[in-house]
Amino acid sequence: MFICLKDAVKKYGEGEAAVYALDHADLVIGKGEICVILGPSGSGKSTMLNMLGGLDTLDAGDLTIEGRSLIGLTPKERTLYRKEEAGFVFQFYNLIPDLTVEENIEVVSDISESPLDLSEVLGALELEPYRRRFPRELSGGQQQRAAIARAMIKNPKLLLCDELTGALDTRSSKNVLQFVEKMNRQYGTTVVIITHNEAIAKMADQIIWIRDGRVEKSVFNEKKIPAEELEL
Amino acid sequence: MKLRRRYIRNIRQNLSFYTASTVLTMAALFLFFLFHIAGNAILDFADEFFEKQKLEDAHFTTYIPISESDIEDMEEEYGVTLEAQSYINIDTDGTTARIFQKTREVDLYDVTKGEDADEKGEVILSEGYAVNMDISTGDQIRIGEEDYTVTGFFQRPDYLYMLENEDDSYKNISTFFLAYMSEEDFAELGEPNCQYLVRYSGDNDRYSGNDEKAFRKAVNEKYHMHSYTSAEENQRIVMVRSQAEMFLIMSWMLLCILPLVAVALICIIISRKVKTEQQMIGTLSAMGYTRTQLARHYAGFAAIPGIIGGVLTSVVTAVAAQPYGELGLTDYEPMRISCSLSWYAAVLGIVIPTVMYVLAALLSVRRLLRQNTVLLLNGSGDEGRRKLRRVLAGRKLSFRIKFAVRSLIGSPARSFVVFLGVFLGSFIMLTGFSIYDSARHTADTVQTSAGEYEYQYVLGELLYENPYGGELLLAAPVEDEKGDTLTVMGTDNEQSLLNLTDKEGQKISTKDGYYITSLAAYLCRWENGDRVTLYNPQSLEQIHIRISGIVENDTAQIIYTSRANAAEMTGVDKNAGNMIISEEKLDIPENIVESESRKSDLEEQVDTIIDQTSYMIDTMVGLGIVICIASVYVAVNMLVSENRRNISMLKVLGYQDRKIGRIVLGSNHVFLPLGILLSIPVAYAFCGLFFRMFADMMGMLVSPYLELESCILAAVLTAGSYLASMYFVQRKTRKVDAAECLKEQRE
Repeated sequence: MFICLKDAVKKYGEGEAAVYALDHADLVIGKGEICVILGPSGSGKSTMLNMLGGLDTLDAGDLTIEGRSLIGLTPKERTLYRKEEAGFVFQFYNLIPDLTVEENIEVVSDISESPLDLSEVLGALELEPYRRRFPRELSGGQQQRAAIARAMIKNPKLLLCDELTGALDTRSSKNVLQFVEKMNRQYGTTVVIITHNEAIAKMADQIIWIRDGRVEKSVFNEKKIPAEELEL
Repeated sequence: MKLRRRYIRNIRQNLSFYTASTVLTMAALFLFFLFHIAGNAILDFADEFFEKQKLEDAHFTTYIPISESDIEDMEEEYGVTLEAQSYINIDTDGTTARIFQKTREVDLYDVTKGEDADEKGEVILSEGYAVNMDISTGDQIRIGEEDYTVTGFFQRPDYLYMLENEDDSYKNISTFFLAYMSEEDFAELGEPNCQYLVRYSGDNDRYSGNDEKAFRKAVNEKYHMHSYTSAEENQRIVMVRSQAEMFLIMSWMLLCILPLVAVALICIIISRKVKTEQQMIGTLSAMGYTRTQLARHYAGFAAIPGIIGGVLTSVVTAVAAQPYGELGLTDYEPMRISCSLSWYAAVLGIVIPTVMYVLAALLSVRRLLRQNTVLLLNGSGDEGRRKLRRVLAGRKLSFRIKFAVRSLIGSPARSFVVFLGVFLGSFIMLTGFSIYDSARHTADTVQTSAGEYEYQYVLGELLYENPYGGELLLAAPVEDEKGDTLTVMGTDNEQSLLNLTDKEGQKISTKDGYYITSLAAYLCRWENGDRVTLYNPQSLEQIHIRISGIVENDTAQIIYTSRANAAEMTGVDKNAGNMIISEEKLDIPENIVESESRKSDLEEQVDTIIDQTSYMIDTMVGLGIVICIASVYVAVNMLVSENRRNISMLKVLGYQDRKIGRIVLGSNHVFLPLGILLSIPVAYAFCGLFFRMFADMMGMLVSPYLELESCILAAVLTAGSYLASMYFVQRKTRKVDAAECLKEQRE
């Protein structure tokens, strides 16, 4: 197993106002898998993603990534973990507006120890024609592909996608998901996608449902279909 | 790092912010640089010129002449340099020429243009008069009954500020000049006066500090000292250093006020700008950027206005320093000061603001990075403040009021910048106006406080009876323990034209006591009832008096007492007098009048002071306008940037641009009256402090005063500057595209 989350608790607020974003949640994800986490708003999906990405820390429980515990890491160690092992793709892309596509990607390759070849990643995500364009000159789908390229350039072991199609139309969404699938295949990256959209789950190896901070159900998808065939 | 590419693009995209920040930096540093450079240039010039031309330490006159051989003996005995100087005043068509005999050891003149007057019929003139009267070398000038050829101009170290009489308050370069001519010509002028110039140190190794008093006592005992004026008390000399010191004090005061405030202002702006980048900081942090890398990146943004502002200020200062420095010397002989920007001042000018801006950015980034990255990604890094933005929730008020209140208190730093911009602009202008008004007000009130006389005659001899009319007084100088000179004025007249009153307006009788003016009380730190020690400047005898009260007079350092007391203090007959004051012009023989002045002359003195400071006041008004426009523009620009989504939403909802402007920008209008109103008492208090600091130099304690018209003018100028900023920013709100901004709206 690649990711192992055990009895995870994350609480916000105190006393009666306390809200459990993760309430004794357990989760296991295998290496190289695509895992889709589903759940309504406020179910704890984003909190779980933040924990996996080392952006936040658990109040209780254990989290290991490829056998290495993230519990007790100092902020500096968590930064190092994010720098080398986890890539993020956000719903609203979060590209730096005054840098071109190419430069946005280089922002990450600059600090990565063994980045992938820029042209290769640009080619894989079909961004070559847009490499010198600024984010504002691109469509939403193209911007999200640039965000994926930025996350993938360091060849992370784990790609974390937060509602990555939430701001896109159906066609762009399918296109972006195809590229995520391609990255998973080409580089063997473990992908965790959190989404509202149940249709996306069909491309996953594992589907996890979360409600009120607990893992309600976790199933391995026997009928996995390529992203291209998704009906979004 | 690729991130660095953001710098140039960010400057281009936020050109107005960087321009305004740079202008503010420049405005703050520029005046400090100029005053500092001018002050130091004058001091450097004075030090060098005084030393080179062997400036006197004092000059004196005696009743019994000192012979050449006695001078040599005294030099030997006391280790001083002593030289007799003959001079003669010749009046020609209302203009007085003071022709000096050349000296060899003290107060040497420096020919600044043309040739020295060595031949018969040649003359050299003091440069200030020659320039003022448009006289060129080669011109003929009539002195007395003779015509002379002007061969050159000169400056003398003890006459850089051209006072005709030592107790005059203002220069005279239109009806008074100095001249040198050949020994032969000088001898033909008539019977000269003689004064003695002395240097206590610098030329003679045998001099020890204690010899000065012994020397003065010996001169008085042997030759009966008539008058003694030390260089520290000689306004012709003191004014040069005072001017330099005023420039330096001004520069440090400006450094304390303007750059600190402007830097604080920009620091706030930079902190705000960093905060607006919190999502970007969160994203970079999520990608693995360390705190140090992020801090370094944002420090780079902050350094831009500091470096550009510092470099531009250095360049502008280097160009403007000389003409600006010379502007402050229009009332002096044309001193050849060299105003240049030293490399270390230039470096400090660049480094100080840059370091402060960088620190502001670093602190801001550090504070943000203490927050959870997730909060930063959600744009909630300053959640604490957001609570403030929820005030008035649930209250039945129009959304405009709620929006305005939340906008103001939800971003206190931004609101503070707007307030500070208005306040500072108005404060600087009012300070300039207040200096002008106070000087004017003093000119009006000083005539009343000086008494009910109009004419004052200082006599060259003692009178025991007064056949001329008016009121006979005895006036003589005394020194305090620091060596500063005060005037003792003795009168026995119960209904004296001096009209002495205390603070409460009660009449004061000088019969049995010693009353000091409020200026003397302030400068000497004396109080009613104090027992103080004074010295007779001629004999150096100690005099002990107890202060009986304080007379309201902020323009002169005087001790009022009875004629008998004054006579005892100064060592003359108790019936003697040497000054007459009167309401009408008196017919006193010219040969016994040493100087004649009118009380209304004070007005001319004030005019001179106003003229001297007018360029400074104009600069301050200009600076106030620049600071007001720049800071309000930057702050309100920030407000528009932070409200782009609200503006676009209001556009979508059908609001017109003008209404949107009113809703978004209108909340700041409250700071306009607040800033102006607060600046009035602060400027008033600041001027009071300023005048107290310069009371010694100005020889008067000016009370701060502000005319209503000045307040209105400052308010109008501030409001105009504010509205100009708003006008420019309003154009920005029009440019916000509704659809584009809404696309960025988050879930």
